[in-house]
Amino acid sequence: MAVERLLVPLSDTVTVRQTVGYAVQSGLEAADSLECHLVVAMPYDADVPESDRYSDDAERLLSRAQNWVEEDAGGADVTIETTTLGADEYLFGPRDYAEIFDAYADEHGIDRVVLDPEYQPGVTAQLLQPLERELDRIGLAYDEAPVDRPARRGRLDGGAEGFDRLFATFLISYGFYLLLGDPTYWFDLVTGAAVAGIVAVSLAQVTFTVPLDRVQSPLRVVRFALYIPYLLWEIVKANIAVSLVILRPSMPIEPTLTRVNSRVRSGLPLTALANSITLTPGTLTVRANNQQLLVHTLIPGARDDLFDGGLERGIRFVFYGRKSAAIASPRERDDAEIVGGDEL
Amino acid sequence: MIETLRFWVIVALLGLGVLFTFVSTVGVIRLPDVYSRAHTASQTDTLGAGFALAGVAVAFGWQHAAVYTVLLLFFVFITNPTAAHAISRSAAETGVAPVLAEEGEDGDETDRDAETDGESR
Repeated sequence: MAVERLLVPLSDTVTVRQTVGYAVQSGLEAADSLECHLVVAMPYDADVPESDRYSDDAERLLSRAQNWVEEDAGGADVTIETTTLGADEYLFGPRDYAEIFDAYADEHGIDRVVLDPEYQPGVTAQLLQPLERELDRIGLAYDEAPVDRPARRGRLDGGAEGFDRLFATFLISYGFYLLLGDPTYWFDLVTGAAVAGIVAVSLAQVTFTVPLDRVQSPLRVVRFALYIPYLLWEIVKANIAVSLVILRPSMPIEPTLTRVNSRVRSGLPLTALANSITLTPGTLTVRANNQQLLVHTLIPGARDDLFDGGLERGIRFVFYGRKSAAIASPRERDDAEIVGGDEL
Repeated sequence: MIETLRFWVIVALLGLGVLFTFVSTVGVIRLPDVYSRAHTASQTDTLGAGFALAGVAVAFGWQHAAVYTVLLLFFVFITNPTAAHAISRSAAETGVAPVLAEEGEDGDETDRDAETDGESR
């Protein structure tokens, strides 16, 4: 009895349901028994912030897809395998994806890969064409599921939000262009507008990961500008403290590893916080898992500053406003502790 | 008069920049392990480059090049922590054990924390 083995890479798209349906149908046409391997390729390796959320999403998608396959198979002989791939490496380009699919195919004797035409494993970039090219190159048979797409790229005609993104990207790139050029020279004004227009049209969809808000987003920029002097002051203070310690002949350093649970959202706010912490000498972010920062501190003074959470308040002020800034310090809310070296 | 003042401001800023770069170099040589060295290496980028670029901006005076130096500093401030984090994280990933203060074992953590509370920064 012939068995058709199919590999179906899944991602959360509008056409994933139809892709699974096609895979089951075409597989059962080709042979009387089907082995359907549903895989989700993880774009990030396991200890990047938010990876927990990604793996939860992957699990959910896999169990949904499994139900679909069972539903479509009816009474036919279908075996389902589900797995996530690439959890221990950082998948970067189409070549990486093609290679892990190929490795998986070799291991399980896969006959054919069924691709979702909207397949989009990472965050923003579309991957289908380069992925098909790479699959051609390594000689793995694939098949693009014929699906009806609802109005192409739904996000492009997102109305006001799409316009906001375009406008913001345009404004930022135009501003930067004029900063480098001469804002009073007509030639720079015209070429800048053209360049910013191209940049906005081509990159607006990938520039912002969270939806913009017409009031909050500009306000955040203003508050960030207010945060910079505070950050600079902290940097100068920490620099002097660390310099004094280093220049003192006895060099009274006290390196410790601490864990701080920060109260900021993952993504840009957490990046800003981790970078601010690293930027002040004496504290160094070694790892960032979700909201948990592993910080190496050099001197007790720097550690106390970290536990007092001044920078965290600053970041909360930038992203959430003044009211949110007034929270208890990590020390008071018991979110800071000194840990041993084996925590790394 | 203004010109002499500006000259000395430039000299002072450059001097501070060199000083912090020097401190950072001393730190890299004296400190025990890769993590603590990463702390002091970032001093070069923050205050070392900061003061030096401020000196450059004053030297240029009020013209376009001064804007560039500020931009330059901005990008240094973005890239420096990224690089420092990349170095320390890869050190952690490859299993480099940090040199920690001796009493860092689990038992007396809380006591120690309380002790250092009152210390001035």
